[in-house]
Amino acid sequence: MNETFQKIEADPQLKGKVKLIGIGAGNSSFEVDYFRNNYKVPFPLFADPDFKIHKLVGEVRTPYYIGVKNQRGAAPKVYYSKLGGSQDPAELLAKVLTGSGVR
Amino acid sequence: MKRIAAVLGVAVCLLAGGAPSAAQTLKDSLYNPGELKPIDSTLKVRKGQAAPDFALPSVSGEKVRLSQFRGKKNVVLSFVPAAFTPVCSDQWPGYNMARALFEQHDAILLGITVDNIPSLFAWTQQMGSPLWFPVLSDFWPHGAVASKYGLLRSDGVSERALVFIDKKGIIRDILVTDINKRPDLEQCAIALEKLDKK
Repeated sequence: MNETFQKIEADPQLKGKVKLIGIGAGNSSFEVDYFRNNYKVPFPLFADPDFKIHKLVGEVRTPYYIGVKNQRGAAPKVYYSKLGGSQDPAELLAKVLTGSGVR
Repeated sequence: MKRIAAVLGVAVCLLAGGAPSAAQTLKDSLYNPGELKPIDSTLKVRKGQAAPDFALPSVSGEKVRLSQFRGKKNVVLSFVPAAFTPVCSDQWPGYNMARALFEQHDAILLGITVDNIPSLFAWTQQMGSPLWFPVLSDFWPHGAVASKYGLLRSDGVSERALVFIDKKGIIRDILVTDINKRPDLEQCAIALEKLDKK
């Protein structure tokens, strides 16, 4: 995901348009900070120690990827939802860009 | 003004799980025991006493004796209740990610359950990334080590507990936590800090 973030930030057409956040399902703030420092994660990570966010998204197994499109004047729309890690940052990014209509 | 058109959210159990595909396979084969009594035993050891010695077979084949680390390494015993259950299957792979934290305090982790070696082998193999610490079987005599520490529950599995032992073999801290939840790494980090103090 670090690589995906770097690709987004390096592309003037995407930077500022596509944001990446991570949610630590069941992880405390200490654990999230430890993970952030240990893996040098450059994008925002949030702790979800009581699984509140995890429950809202349907108690998915992890890792899980959700693409959300913010629409002017309408509710945010989920355009991408996938269980399991994408090992290819370029492939994940391509799906995000196509699904969201950014590119 | 440009507006954010898309947000990619990632729900990741950060300090849990192994390689994604392997973790997914493992999660498909887990048994969920449901909500259990949080703690169901009475400790037989206390902080400041010498840790009872033991020798247990490990998944990798050799026998591991607690006293072999005396004078060399701090030791953290991680008792978990059972292989192929959800919380335990998150907790130990999480310690793979936290390996540096243990090493920073010159500590070796010993993972212990009352499962037999074949079960532990199959379980840890499915975790994806190999565990960096020895995994020991307290299967026979059943739960003898857990019992010696007062960590054997009435249903024959051990508590979810961490025992912190310094290089002199003295117990410096004991965390017996709710069996239904993964212990917070912060508690573990605080206990590890204590091992550094003379």
